[in-house]
Amino acid sequence: VTESEHRGGAAPYRSRKVVDWSRPLTLATSAVAGVLAVAVVFFLTNDALPVFKHSGLGYITGARWFFRAGEFGALPMIYGSIVVSIVALVLAVPIGLGAAVFSAEFCSERTRRRLKVAVELLAGVPSVVYGLLGVLLLRNWIYRLLQPWDPLSGDTLLTAGVLLAVMVLPTVVTLADDALHAVPDSARQAARSLGLTASETLFSVSLPIAKPGVVAAVLLAFGRALGETIAVFLVVGRRDNVLPETIASLRPLAGAGQTLTSKLGGSETFLAYGDPLHWGAIVGLAVILLVLATSVALASAFVRGARSA
Amino acid sequence: MLFGCLLGSPLAAKALKVSGSTTVNPVVTDAAKVLRSESDLEIVIDTLGGSSGGIAALADGRAHVGMASRPITDRDRERFPGVDFRSIPIGYDALALVVSRDVWQSGVRSLSADQMRAIYEERVSNWKELGGPDQRIAFFNKEPGRGTWEVFAKWLYGSVDAAPLVSFLEVGSNEEARQKVAGTRGALTQLSTAWADGETVFALDIESPDGERVPATARNASLGTYPISRPLLLVTDGAASPDAERLIGFILGPRGQKLVERHGYVPTGALDEQTALSIGEPSLETESAEVGSR
Repeated sequence: VTESEHRGGAAPYRSRKVVDWSRPLTLATSAVAGVLAVAVVFFLTNDALPVFKHSGLGYITGARWFFRAGEFGALPMIYGSIVVSIVALVLAVPIGLGAAVFSAEFCSERTRRRLKVAVELLAGVPSVVYGLLGVLLLRNWIYRLLQPWDPLSGDTLLTAGVLLAVMVLPTVVTLADDALHAVPDSARQAARSLGLTASETLFSVSLPIAKPGVVAAVLLAFGRALGETIAVFLVVGRRDNVLPETIASLRPLAGAGQTLTSKLGGSETFLAYGDPLHWGAIVGLAVILLVLATSVALASAFVRGARSA
Repeated sequence: MLFGCLLGSPLAAKALKVSGSTTVNPVVTDAAKVLRSESDLEIVIDTLGGSSGGIAALADGRAHVGMASRPITDRDRERFPGVDFRSIPIGYDALALVVSRDVWQSGVRSLSADQMRAIYEERVSNWKELGGPDQRIAFFNKEPGRGTWEVFAKWLYGSVDAAPLVSFLEVGSNEEARQKVAGTRGALTQLSTAWADGETVFALDIESPDGERVPATARNASLGTYPISRPLLLVTDGAASPDAERLIGFILGPRGQKLVERHGYVPTGALDEQTALSIGEPSLETESAEVGSR
């Protein structure tokens, strides 16, 4: 008996003409959410048009941003955003995944829940608090750590990346833990009864089964890192026009930079308002950020979708 | 329009909204505390965008009163043609070049305009070229749009547009600037003298072309001998509302002017008229400033 037949069969019991509001109501709320999403994209793109008319693709590939000269190149900020997010993942994923494996595989259900609550508390700390901790502690710590490379100050892309790592850690831990927890115990038991050790079970059974969920967790963390503003703003140095000499160069990590969000959070946003081109360039950064974050979210949804298929 | 959607909210009927300069903010915050305790006047203050942010907020109707640490310019009037800017000077401030402790202790105690230009144009990047230690200059530039930066640029280059295009580390609020300079070796930034505490950050003298050193003090600003001074303004669109009038009246009154003085600024009464005029319209500035005409 399929689900629809089952519903059809139940219909006679509800044959009195009762108006059921749940469907139209939820349809209306979905419509509001959908319209809002479309409206945001529409207004952002519309406001950003002048800069694309002015610079074309050069807006995205351009390496120079001097608004007083009418030069708008967003590449250094795209670079900054991606670099700090990758640094965050490089630090947060091994730690987060380790914690997730420990809680999902080796803890009792009670301990696991306690651990999760503790980790999720971290996620609840407002980002401005992280930013202030970054300014007060992390900035000085990284400044000392980087001494061999003679940093100009403690405001560096690395500082922002490390701070972001702390901020996205709960996302990695809790989602990866969910993915591992969803692996049926029967699979583990089967592996153990075949004589596999705990480690072998982990690497050849639990992790492969949970892989799509774990990858989705990492992608969501990446998305969160891309979008974080105020904490990054306070420690990244906000130096414009920083690009590496070669794409793989690590040197810029020890120096200041600018991300899409730190630029958007700065006072230039207020200055730009009223000048269509400058405002378009600023809003264009928001569009780029939106495209990046949406791609990451879609990739994450795709990976999770592949698992349930 | 989008800007309004994201950041704006219709002005609440009760609260008086004040927005703008972090330099003017401490005085207004203290005044707001007094007014709140003595009457039912509720005042909400934000300093997100600095002086230019405050002016934009006022023009958009997101604030009733703007705070600015620089004069209203023709450029502001061009950007917001429908707005009748009226600025009320509540005090004056000297803008200092401040350095971190290591620079100060190494004996660098003054900079000339020429030396500052060389740093700003990246022709000089090490303190040893200025008689200091072998230490790179970590110059924290004030964000564009901040009153401090605009006053600084006018002092060095005559106008904001004449300042060269540079990419330095940037700082926003005065507190952030002080914190970062204090925690960085070889650091230098532009900062209101009222925030140069002489404990964590240190204000350099300005050396005039004839070799005379003028300490960056509010008193020298009031005498007109210190070259980088500026008015601190409250700005309204047209005539002030009764609530705004109460705030402005309080700050211009004897108790408010005491607050101005307590925060290290020069009260309006302490300036003779001639000096007030010269601060309102710096000699190099071509844009009109309405401070002087008041």
